[in-house]
Amino acid sequence: MSGQPLSTGALVVRRLLQLPLIVLAVYTLTFVLAWSVPGSPLENPEGRRPSAEIVEAMKKQYKLDDPVAFYFDYLEKASGIGYLRGTTERVFDLGPSLKQPDWNVNEILGTGLPVSITLGLSAMVLALMIGLFAGLVGGLRPGSPADIATQLISIVGISLPSFVIGSALLMLFAVQLRIFPVGGWGGLSFIMLPALTLSLPFAAYISRLVRFGMIEEMGADYIRTARAKGLSRSRVALRHALKNAFLPVLSYLGPATAVALTGSFVVEKVFAVPGVGQHFVDGVLGKDITLVMGIVLVYSTLMVVFNLAVDVMYRFVDPRIA
Amino acid sequence: MVLALAASISLDRPLPPADLVLIDRGDVHTLDPQRMSYQHELRRARVLYETLINLRASDCALEPGVAERWEISPDGRTYTFHLRENARWSNGDPVTSEDFRYSWRRAILPDSAADYSGLFLAIEGAQEFFDARTAMTAEFAATHANAPSAAEAEALWKRTVELFDATVALRAPDPRTLVVTLKAPLVYFLDLCAFPCFAPVHPATVESCVSIDPSTGRLIQRHDWTKPGRIVVNGAYVPTVWRYKRDMRLEQNPYYWNKDAVVARTIECRTVENPNTGVLSFQSGAADWLTDLGPDYRVDMLAERRAYLARHKAAIDAGLARGEMLDDIVATLPPPGAGERRDVRGFSAFGTDFFSFNCRPSLPGERLNPFHDARVRRAFALAIDKQALIDRVTRLNERVASTLVPHGSIPGYPVVHGLGYDPERAREELKAAGWEDRDGDGVVENADGVRFPTVDILYSSSNPRYQNLSLAMRDMWKRELRVAAETRGKDTKLYRNDLQKGNFMIARGGWYGDYGDPTTWLDLQQSTNGNNDRGYRNPEYDRRLAEASVQEDPERRLAMLAEVERWLFTEEVPLLPLCNYVTVYMYDASAIDGITEHPRLEQDLSILGRRSAQTPELVP
Repeated sequence: MSGQPLSTGALVVRRLLQLPLIVLAVYTLTFVLAWSVPGSPLENPEGRRPSAEIVEAMKKQYKLDDPVAFYFDYLEKASGIGYLRGTTERVFDLGPSLKQPDWNVNEILGTGLPVSITLGLSAMVLALMIGLFAGLVGGLRPGSPADIATQLISIVGISLPSFVIGSALLMLFAVQLRIFPVGGWGGLSFIMLPALTLSLPFAAYISRLVRFGMIEEMGADYIRTARAKGLSRSRVALRHALKNAFLPVLSYLGPATAVALTGSFVVEKVFAVPGVGQHFVDGVLGKDITLVMGIVLVYSTLMVVFNLAVDVMYRFVDPRIA
Repeated sequence: MVLALAASISLDRPLPPADLVLIDRGDVHTLDPQRMSYQHELRRARVLYETLINLRASDCALEPGVAERWEISPDGRTYTFHLRENARWSNGDPVTSEDFRYSWRRAILPDSAADYSGLFLAIEGAQEFFDARTAMTAEFAATHANAPSAAEAEALWKRTVELFDATVALRAPDPRTLVVTLKAPLVYFLDLCAFPCFAPVHPATVESCVSIDPSTGRLIQRHDWTKPGRIVVNGAYVPTVWRYKRDMRLEQNPYYWNKDAVVARTIECRTVENPNTGVLSFQSGAADWLTDLGPDYRVDMLAERRAYLARHKAAIDAGLARGEMLDDIVATLPPPGAGERRDVRGFSAFGTDFFSFNCRPSLPGERLNPFHDARVRRAFALAIDKQALIDRVTRLNERVASTLVPHGSIPGYPVVHGLGYDPERAREELKAAGWEDRDGDGVVENADGVRFPTVDILYSSSNPRYQNLSLAMRDMWKRELRVAAETRGKDTKLYRNDLQKGNFMIARGGWYGDYGDPTTWLDLQQSTNGNNDRGYRNPEYDRRLAEASVQEDPERRLAMLAEVERWLFTEEVPLLPLCNYVTVYMYDASAIDGITEHPRLEQDLSILGRRSAQTPELVP
């Protein structure tokens, strides 16, 4: 690292140059792990086996008999080099799914990724709304019954695993009250419960950040000055204190959104949401190597780009971070 | 960001409600009938593709399908099928005998990697063609690995087609006649013709996704053709929406010749992998039929059903005596009270749960394998109290099995009994094999004073059922036979590995039958069978099966097979059958009509429907 801070443009260029190296490292690591898992994607977990000739034929077709050839072949097609050399029709060809031969990985990501992103972002919007509200309620009146109640709820939100919360919400809102459908996807009513479940741990954390920030800021000198000048308490709290109390939330939002986008597989399972998380877990369990590699490639690229976007955003919010 | 969210949410609208909604635990892997192997896939295939012959769900009787009639030559080897004139593909094309030739060739080709290609090898010349094609592509790959040639690969394919025409006895003298000659008479060949892997695919559609690999000479099949909008089928329904691991929508095929017999106009097949969510979804009224109730619910829910049936026993018995179906009787009964339910039903399936004995002469590492001795296997089989396992461990009220073929599942096949529970005889068998407690230490030894090796019981840890069964059986063997025994739970993949390598003494197994003949079960023990995990090799067994296969009198043949099975499970005992599997559906018998209770459980989606107009509308 040089002593001179980078300009925003230089930061972007530098990170984009690092991108292929990071993705290649992730690809190689995943490849080694995926390949060393025992079992074969050509085998059904239950039931009859195909004949030896047929397994051989499949191995040849998918290059499963030669890890090194598979490694380079897949990399070439997935990275777009294959397209440039004319060996594949799609620009980024992530290969066929070995377990679901009717689908290739591009199609699976094409249907799953929008779902996962919609779910993840909805959860973050909800988390912000709930977290800010609860944090403000508690932070403005520390020790009040409302503060204790929101703190208790946030502890529950952080500590309960999402499959428990999810199942409880399902029982209450979908089975007993019948306000929302039990599972599936398509329309706002399907998103509410999974997004709420996914948002709760984040909301709880945000509320604690906001509460702590507000308590600290409300006691600060500049707030006392503002109050002394005759500004109302609520105006001071929302206009001045919250602005500063929100900074830690912003730095938390970056990684949190990444986690919400990529780590939603438990929620996806509970609510039968057809996102990428489900496919990834099934891919790992079934040793569907092409599916796993494809998802890892796309997600690691997304993560790098996403972190970059957050870093750029910091610079605008707080120029000192540069 | 919020705008983008709103847009993405509003674009993904739910589909209008379908006439019938079902929930499967997993999505179908493929809509290519030649590559299917899972039960829920085959069920889907039966309404998308029509085979030459249809299987009637209610009794598994064979009915005309694409073939309106057929003749069998006196020697039982040549089948002539006459295709109906009004059989159509969903794009209006007629279904021709060439379509069947194309599809069956596809299934036989090693390039297609069809799980069930073996079923086609009964056709004369098919085995020779399969072997020749395997050799041709292997040779081509060896010489062209580094020198790909599209022209030569093309030429190889042309030679392959000529070879098929010349060797495989599958002829289409005119578009409406298909003539098949078999290597030897096969009395269940018509039943095979009703198996979805024998269904036709639309050649022009499929061929548009086939290419030839210039470096291996093999056919490469892309599967884009199975996608809605592109797929052409000849069955009762056409898939119009298929979203990966989410849902598939089937709509009536307007060109289907028998469309008047099709009940639901639209069917929605949803995928819900989480068993809890599946049940809640069903209970919230979002589906008509949950095809696989998760293991956590089965015991309690089935008990509640039994409570309901017990309360109405008189009415049910009277209805059954009149020859009515149980579901129809239940539909007329008053709704269940507290602690009762009628929206769940367990069926004895066309599958048998068993534990395999390792019959190989020795274990890996040249270790002593006492189970090579049939007397030891008999002893271990006799020491298991299966009814106790069902009452206390699995608790699904399964039917005890002592043989492989489920009783009553194959018309004309006698009921065969294997070994029962007899601990006294078990100890005698073990003693006869040379194993008894000679020094009074509570563990059996052989004449050289070598202790019986610790019995290694392998199971897959994916399902608690097998852990519980293994532990209970271990205790029974310890108690009755005085042997040391240990259970070894492994992840499914590692379990399969050990199974194939023969690294076990006793291992959890199981089998579902494919077609309506005992050989779908008995072939499993053949020396060369790819699924013979037990390493059981007995020329006597192979010889007796072969003998039965050439028997032309069907009744006599079934009797011979029954005798082979009786001998296998009273003398040889390569595996220990426990019970028939139970398949548990959730559906309300008072709301849904058309579920068959025939032991093969070949549910026909095209005859399922809601019982009456008063059925409350489904929650979307």
